[in-house]
Amino acid sequence: MPPKVIQVPKTDPAAYNPNRPAGLLLRSQAQHMREALIKHAHEITTLLAIDMRSLKTEADISAFVHRATALLHTHAARPTKK
Amino acid sequence: MSAGLDNLKHIVVLMMENRSFDHMLGSLMQKNPRINGLTGNESNPDTNGAAVKVQRNAQFQSQLDPDPDHHFPGVDLQIFGGQPPSQNRVANMQGFVKDYFSQTKDVGRSHNIMSYFDSEKDLPVLSTLATEYAVFNGWFSSIPGPTICNRAFAHYGTSFGQVGMDIFFILDNSIASIYERMVQAGHTAKIYYYDQPSSTMEIVNLLKNQPQIFATFDQFIADCSGNTLPEYTFIEPCYNDHPGADGGQILASDQHPDHNVREGERFIGNVYNAIRTNPTLWQSTALLVVYDEHGGIYDHVVPPSCTPDGFTASADATGTGAPFAFDRLGVRVPAILISPWVPRGTVVPGTESPNPQIFEHASIPGTVTNFFLAGDAKRTVREQRANSFLSLLTDQMRADDDCVVFGNLS
Repeated sequence: MPPKVIQVPKTDPAAYNPNRPAGLLLRSQAQHMREALIKHAHEITTLLAIDMRSLKTEADISAFVHRATALLHTHAARPTKK
Repeated sequence: MSAGLDNLKHIVVLMMENRSFDHMLGSLMQKNPRINGLTGNESNPDTNGAAVKVQRNAQFQSQLDPDPDHHFPGVDLQIFGGQPPSQNRVANMQGFVKDYFSQTKDVGRSHNIMSYFDSEKDLPVLSTLATEYAVFNGWFSSIPGPTICNRAFAHYGTSFGQVGMDIFFILDNSIASIYERMVQAGHTAKIYYYDQPSSTMEIVNLLKNQPQIFATFDQFIADCSGNTLPEYTFIEPCYNDHPGADGGQILASDQHPDHNVREGERFIGNVYNAIRTNPTLWQSTALLVVYDEHGGIYDHVVPPSCTPDGFTASADATGTGAPFAFDRLGVRVPAILISPWVPRGTVVPGTESPNPQIFEHASIPGTVTNFFLAGDAKRTVREQRANSFLSLLTDQMRADDDCVVFGNLS
């Protein structure tokens, strides 16, 4: 016997309102994003200030690459096909 | 160890936004008296002194606009009815209408905070899951305050002394997030946010520093069907209305007022179906649906005291004129544990019982750490003492035709 299926009503299309004023939660989210970006920018600036000629050993290079990769290897949120 | 625990390979947590237990599930007490919901006679005084009874007239949208207050001073008023902080005051849950008046400036509209849903009619997904699996009478938000600090408890077992929406910086580096604990021990864990325009609420500490633990909801669906779900999964709903990549309309599904509650129902149904429809995953997964905090909406159960987490918020931070030692929980929220190993109609007793089983968000990293890591992690005493919800898994797996599925979902 198949399991019982509970039908879920559709949401009223009129519910969609991207022009709704943002509440405190979303404003906080944006503020937190900005804070994270500032830290990110600071890290990029710090890395770009490194003189490439100062990287002489494999350890020097790996330390630089490690930090750069951590910055560049951000999650690519490309939707996966269902 | 039960057979349910023996078979458990995945714990999935879906954390919704800002609805109280009574608001969403309180009407179920009429069907099952063991559920600690509403009799219909509970009331709060309004600013004119008139008693305002709870009202079974909650609406999916537009009723709780402006957003009810759920910040520390407001929740203090809701819980203590306006008594100033003192050692002797007794919580009475009598300040919800008064507090909502501070938002609405309208006595009539302030009554809306006492609204609750006819759960079976209005909320077919949540009410079905609550009655078909295990509903918690005593799951409380971790702090009588807003989203960010409460969600921190789900990730760290503490908010590091924060009681508000400020960016919280980790003050004690020795306490790792549950995701770091898992990954460092060779296990798998992920936070799935809905999509990039919605993103995550765990930004400064987790998204900034640990981007590898994040993925989108589409990936969650793919991981469910492809049997690649991590051992621990945390899901965030969509937090805002925005255009989709194909030009369509993406609705917020977090149920935060004033977002449409029905869209959240559909999201919960989609998460459940993704697990339920994969037989391998279904029998090896425990899904917890829980809300981060009550959002300022009425609940009749007085939050109990709790084990402090070692931090203290200053009087300036709380805004009440008194410090807070994290020794009392926030307002009660809906929480449901779903698994074929959970008997139908399980009601986990709360404060109404002589043998209560109290849960809060520190139970989430606590349970995951205990199960996957044998408790081996530096964590707060509060998390160590938090109840584990996996004891609800039994030896008996329910038959496939005994577990519902949801239809008409996209």
